[in-house]
Amino acid sequence: MPAAIETRGLTRCFKRHLAVDSVSMTVPDRAVYGFLGRNGAGKTTTLKMLLGLIRPSEGSALVCGVDIGRDRIGAARKVGALLEAHGFYGNLSGRENLDLTRSLLGLAKSEIDRVLEVVEMTEHARRRVSDYSLGMRQRLGLARAMLGAPPVLVLDEPTNGLDPDGIADMRRFLRALPERTGATVLLSSHLLGEIEQTATHVGILSHGKLVLEGELGRLKADLAPEIALQTDDAARATALARARGFDVLPSDDGLVARLKPGEDARTASASLNRALIEADIAVFAIGARSRSLEGIYREVSPPAPTAATAKPRPEFA
Amino acid sequence: MSASPFLAPLFVEARKLNRSLAALLAVAAPSLIAIFLFFMVLRGKAPMPWGMWTMNAAGVWAFFMLPMSVTALTALAAHMEHGPKSWDHLRALPLPRWRLYAAKVVCVLAVVAVMSAAVLAMTWGAVTLAAAIKPRLTPTGPFELALYAGLFGRIYLAAVLMIAIQLWVALRYASFVPALAVGIGGTFFSVVATSAKQGVFFPWQMPVNMLATEAWRVQTALGLGLGLGMVVMVGALAHLSRREVL
Repeated sequence: MPAAIETRGLTRCFKRHLAVDSVSMTVPDRAVYGFLGRNGAGKTTTLKMLLGLIRPSEGSALVCGVDIGRDRIGAARKVGALLEAHGFYGNLSGRENLDLTRSLLGLAKSEIDRVLEVVEMTEHARRRVSDYSLGMRQRLGLARAMLGAPPVLVLDEPTNGLDPDGIADMRRFLRALPERTGATVLLSSHLLGEIEQTATHVGILSHGKLVLEGELGRLKADLAPEIALQTDDAARATALARARGFDVLPSDDGLVARLKPGEDARTASASLNRALIEADIAVFAIGARSRSLEGIYREVSPPAPTAATAKPRPEFA
Repeated sequence: MSASPFLAPLFVEARKLNRSLAALLAVAAPSLIAIFLFFMVLRGKAPMPWGMWTMNAAGVWAFFMLPMSVTALTALAAHMEHGPKSWDHLRALPLPRWRLYAAKVVCVLAVVAVMSAAVLAMTWGAVTLAAAIKPRLTPTGPFELALYAGLFGRIYLAAVLMIAIQLWVALRYASFVPALAVGIGGTFFSVVATSAKQGVFFPWQMPVNMLATEAWRVQTALGLGLGLGMVVMVGALAHLSRREVL
């Protein structure tokens, strides 16, 4: 069985700007693939190429084995998309909006009820879209993407603008989607927490290049764990840990000491704890933990050099 | 029941237009001409022939109201997609893109045809109503429907080039400003250079040339308006369906 999505050396230039640089990605069948990257990393450009909206400068992309460059319409039959701009007609009801797309796709009327039920929007379907909340529009967008039950769903930032409850709903919904509908989901986002809780696979795009790809669980397991610690003197604790051979980085809630591959986390934690106490540094918390997606992301996706000077916070949540 | 793949985009477009302000525009423009004629008739001192009132209506329509209506209608039809940013969704669907644009072309042409017919019908209505109020001003001679319909038909066909240009610009640019600028500019030059012989080659003046007494002007403007209009329409469809919307 071919991969749900496969790209080979996908490249796109806008005049002199290389937006997507030889991206070769593989989205396995029935995966929830988190496509990560900062704003401007090239995610949307890649998705647009996958949807046949823009042509690659080089390379190719296949959806369920169909080459988009050779057979855009054949490939488009395999994909449903939720794009950042929903493109709903505000003066029409949710049902009428779905019906327009249904007509264009030549589907049966019953398809509308099916997708409305999947996204739990049946009771709101007769309201005008202009009266919908952003969360309802996102769900209607998902319903529209699922018209005709395409095997692949491409979702561009589906949690954008949602409140915490909406995000939790969307997360639950997306996680269950492959099982409920049999679809493969390609999910673009810059929200690491969301991807970590939703995706089975990830691909990280940085400055147009795919810098990491794989099954999320395996990526995390392959990396050595780290020790999170909170002390009363971060500078001295950092110096001490570094002297003992740890790679130490500041984190939001203290420090993180990276272990070398193969090193036992419990023994290293105990040894570091002992050393800190002997150096008269108060330890508030210390413990080994497995690497987070954020840690992986920071490692493989450094900010652009110009941005690094200004030290902006990456858009994590 | 689903429409055939060829007709589905057309039905979808018609449904979208039906719920927009296009209907209001289609009624408003001919109504304004009718209101104008109604008061013109009432101001009269002696009865005039039907032909004169119809020519008056055709003149106002071809000269000013048609170009302005086409400007507004094409901007409206294009903005239905530009406004909510629907193009990405539509263009990602598994159907040939030219059909989406062709559906817009057909709908706009249909609405302009309906408006042309409405101008003629409302002209008859307005003059008849005014004559009912002042019977002594009842128009003389017969109301030669076939003759007048032929005139309005030629005006419509000569306007195809103007419609094609306006729709192309409106669909090409997400902002409605370029389309309005082209429409207002075209109408402006059409008004200020009314008597220019070169007007027969100017898309916004081609419709009004259907009222000319010289046969060559009528034939040239009609041939260019319709012929070039069809060519430009096909060019627009090819360009719009191939271009990337970034």
